[in-house]
Amino acid sequence: MNLLRQHRISAFLLVLLAMAAFATSQKDLVLLMSSGAIAVLSWYVTEGPRGRSLPEVASNILILGLLMWTLAEFLTDIELADATSVLGRFLLWLLVIKLFSRRTAYEERQRFTLAAMLVVCGCLETVEFVFAALVFAFIALGIWTAMLWRLQSSLDAARASRKGDGAFLPPPLEVAVGRRLLPQFRRLALLSIVVIFAGSVVGFAAFPRFGESRGGRSQSDAVSGFNDRIDLLANARINESRRELFTVVWKDPTGTPEQSKRPIYLRGAVLDRYDPVTHRWEALRTSNAIRAMRTPTDAKFVALGPGVPDTTGGVWTAEIAMRSLATSVLFTVYAPFAVATDESYSVAFDPATLLLRDVGTDHVSRYWWYALRVQPQPSPQMMETLQGSTNPPRSDISFPVPALKPIAERILSQAFVTGIPTAEDVRADPSLRWMRNREIARAVASWMRGGRFRYTTDLTAFEIADGEEPIIAFLERNQFGHCEYFASALGGILRTLGIESRLVTGFVALEYDVSTSQYIVRESHAHAWVEVRTGEHQWTAIDPTPEESLMQISERNRAFSDNFRWIYDRLEFLWNSQVLAYDSAAQATIADRMQSKWWKSVQESYDAVRVQMRALVEQYSLGRAGMVWFVAIALAFFAAVAAWLFARRRLRHTQRIAGLAGLPPQEARRIAREVSFFADALDMLEDAGFPKPAPLTPRQHVAAITLHDANAGGAFARLVERFYRVRYGGLAQSISDREETRDELLRLKSALSRRR
Amino acid sequence: MQATRRRTNFGTAGLLYCLTVVVVALASVNRPNNLLVWIFSAMLIALLVSGVVSGMMLLRLRAHRIEPRRARVGEVLVVRYEIRNLSRFVPAFDLHIEERKLPPSIVNAGEAWMLHCGPGDTVHAEGVFRASKRGLFRFPTFEVWSSFPFGLLRKRLIFERASEVLVEPEIIPLQPSLLSRLARGGLMGGVRASVEVGGGEDFFGVREYRAGDSIRSIAWKRLAGTDQLATIERSRAVPPRVRIVLDLRRATSDLRVAEGVDPRALEEDAITLAASLMALADRQGDEFGLTILGLDVAAIPLRRGHFHRAKVLAALAALDLDQPRDASATLRESAERATVLFVHPDRADTSISPAVGWNFTAAQLSSLRIPLALGGET
Repeated sequence: MNLLRQHRISAFLLVLLAMAAFATSQKDLVLLMSSGAIAVLSWYVTEGPRGRSLPEVASNILILGLLMWTLAEFLTDIELADATSVLGRFLLWLLVIKLFSRRTAYEERQRFTLAAMLVVCGCLETVEFVFAALVFAFIALGIWTAMLWRLQSSLDAARASRKGDGAFLPPPLEVAVGRRLLPQFRRLALLSIVVIFAGSVVGFAAFPRFGESRGGRSQSDAVSGFNDRIDLLANARINESRRELFTVVWKDPTGTPEQSKRPIYLRGAVLDRYDPVTHRWEALRTSNAIRAMRTPTDAKFVALGPGVPDTTGGVWTAEIAMRSLATSVLFTVYAPFAVATDESYSVAFDPATLLLRDVGTDHVSRYWWYALRVQPQPSPQMMETLQGSTNPPRSDISFPVPALKPIAERILSQAFVTGIPTAEDVRADPSLRWMRNREIARAVASWMRGGRFRYTTDLTAFEIADGEEPIIAFLERNQFGHCEYFASALGGILRTLGIESRLVTGFVALEYDVSTSQYIVRESHAHAWVEVRTGEHQWTAIDPTPEESLMQISERNRAFSDNFRWIYDRLEFLWNSQVLAYDSAAQATIADRMQSKWWKSVQESYDAVRVQMRALVEQYSLGRAGMVWFVAIALAFFAAVAAWLFARRRLRHTQRIAGLAGLPPQEARRIAREVSFFADALDMLEDAGFPKPAPLTPRQHVAAITLHDANAGGAFARLVERFYRVRYGGLAQSISDREETRDELLRLKSALSRRR
Repeated sequence: MQATRRRTNFGTAGLLYCLTVVVVALASVNRPNNLLVWIFSAMLIALLVSGVVSGMMLLRLRAHRIEPRRARVGEVLVVRYEIRNLSRFVPAFDLHIEERKLPPSIVNAGEAWMLHCGPGDTVHAEGVFRASKRGLFRFPTFEVWSSFPFGLLRKRLIFERASEVLVEPEIIPLQPSLLSRLARGGLMGGVRASVEVGGGEDFFGVREYRAGDSIRSIAWKRLAGTDQLATIERSRAVPPRVRIVLDLRRATSDLRVAEGVDPRALEEDAITLAASLMALADRQGDEFGLTILGLDVAAIPLRRGHFHRAKVLAALAALDLDQPRDASATLRESAERATVLFVHPDRADTSISPAVGWNFTAAQLSSLRIPLALGGET
């Protein structure tokens, strides 16, 4: 195909790619299909057999309408977070309109710019792997298209410059086809793409990062569905993606993989403080007894507590293998007492919450695999060994929403809680407190699962009046919501009733694959539940969300594409672990490694040279002055090698010019040395603008030069005669001949310099 | 020829691109987003790649202007450039060639551009110019530039290599009947027999028969009378002859012109008229010669043919009107038989020569030309 004909196709594909990337960032299939279909239609309309385009007036009216619509959207919904989305949609539809315009260079430029802006808008919306893959494809295709566009626009400009006054002007030489052109262009374009990508990796690694380092929230957490806080007002989007995040192998005490009778709750964050102003659950970081430890490299378990744990209740093992999630959080099953990782990591263990977090500063990527030794029902002795005195204080059980109290008491009365110790019983016997906590929590959770509340991820109909508490709105009015509402309501009720409880976020493993004997944890399995204090050091997980609803939703969202997720799961994990999780700590690690590696290699080379030189000096008893001589000789040697290489190159050049290819090598070298003046003369002439065309003989070249400059022609003619005598007459130049030749060369040089 | 200088410039696109890079960098810093950081890095590297690729493309490029010999006012001047890529690996794309420091009377009407020059290739490109004045002009410098691959940076190679071009005066199509009326009738011109033997129609003489003579040229009457073979010889036909005399005896400032009329423009018109008459004579097959009175230019004898025409036009092109004039110059009498056409810038002056001739003035130029409606070319 003609090189320049590819330009239109690649420019169109670039626009399609930008639109697909933006629609992906919005997770809006309807947008993708509708805009894509219209864009494809535009290709048929503008490039089809009739080659029509939208009149400029119609195009302007459409753009004006789009602008008004976008402004109206801004005015009605002025959420700052959605501004990029609205702007992106405006750009996307603007681009669609522009696709129907005439294919001029100006329009091409506009389309290219709009497409780039659309991609940047998408970047501000998401950092997911699929989107990133589209962005990289966009960059690669953009480089290719920009190079083609450069050629096309130059050709157009050259043509346009010749249409000045309507008179006949010869068209520019157009060599857009050819056997060599296409491969050379492809090679150059591919090389540029590779270099840009390779260079961008270096730039990416070296870019200064001022954000939160490892240990804080990473960008990969934001795309996993897991959140270390709950915001009851920010529930516009609930992630129902079936992306596989990781797998869990649950092994019984004998080491055999098995399916647990209950769902496995994987804890990621513990939220024990509710803010009634912002309506958020957040972690109250009260523990100052965090233990840091280093895991061994060979996947051996390291104990999380200081003492020997009591394992009489049996030890289960949870092996977690990451598929696409890269986060600093190690999701744990209650209650862990030992951890193992595939590589050596620095892990922080919080005894108060029993949470684990990767805090290593010597790793660039996230772990790939880790295992936990757990006791699902740990004994009080074991928990005491594990936690010591770091349990949260009991005073922190109040719930700052007074309006919830009558509701909680009413619910308690409706929950048919019978046969549990009363408050008076507890005052009389404090040991009954834990049993009371557990029973009330189970009763209320059971009441909530009893059909009064509907589980849904669609909260568009969820109404909260101004100043209304979302938990009360959920309990009293709406009576539907997702797990965060269920958990918040239960947590709030229990605290209001004086029962210590806290919210936990993480994942729930429901989907068991019998063929591989492992749980598959997906993005949509992100979950929130409640933990109730049932002992001095013990907490019990209570889930008020109906388990069947979770399963139904998980099954309902199954898509055909889920069957192919395994293809890019590993890539997605690499993206999350190597790119999104790359922060200042990883940067510092790379810098340390590079520095030490480079410095080490430089030092080793220096030492090796030094040892060799010392050996030489000692062997020949050179002393300090001898060292100087040695260096001087080495320098002279290198200079001689360089001179020899230069002379060899020059000789070959002369042999080529004088046509000595067919002669025996020795003879060719001898003649080449003799006629080197001729090569010098030709070089001078070429520099002065008289290159010798290959078909011309030297004498014909003399005639051509003489026409322009008699002096230069004369001097060159004498040199040519001398060349003929040496090359074909077998004349060996004497010293005086050489001097004369040098004089002739000088004359030629001065004649040419006068001309210049 | 190797470039004298190398330069690098940022274009508007490059500046806008840099601005965008800065914006993306700020967004990356402000909003921890590793994808944006990656995009920023890619944009930065693309800028570097743009500079390196265009620099490498032009590194071993040699350019050479193939000297334009002649041009004519009102016609296009095509200048060819030869580009050689001495690189063994790197092809050059999107090469623009532009002339710099051109005289104001020569304008660029179409830039020279080439899409591709592969490693080791030699490629030609053509630049198109228009000259608005006759004379000898210099093309002092030209440059080869490219903003490939992304149009962000413009790398330039400047070649300081002067060439000269002789711009001939404009030739205006005159009415064809003009010369046939003047030169082909009467005593002064017309087709006639010359004093040399040739292939014409007129009788020249009789000579002895030589083997190979055509039987048709045998003098049969002589044969009948003398019984000896003789051959009739014919004289060579000579075309009409026109001598154009350009009267430049008066200095430009001394020309007798009406107020508001530029005398130098009239002189140029006179030169144009002389060139146009010459072209008309050439087209009609006449012999023509040129005499310029008042300037130190040798008279050109009566001849015809392509080279002679080029010689006459070169003489007219090279006229330097700022030279001192010889007001006493006259057309010397000679044995030359030709129609004499006097071309005056201002007014007809019969004192030039005793010879009979036809006088034209520069002001007649527009009235003598073929009207455009009748197919006259510009």
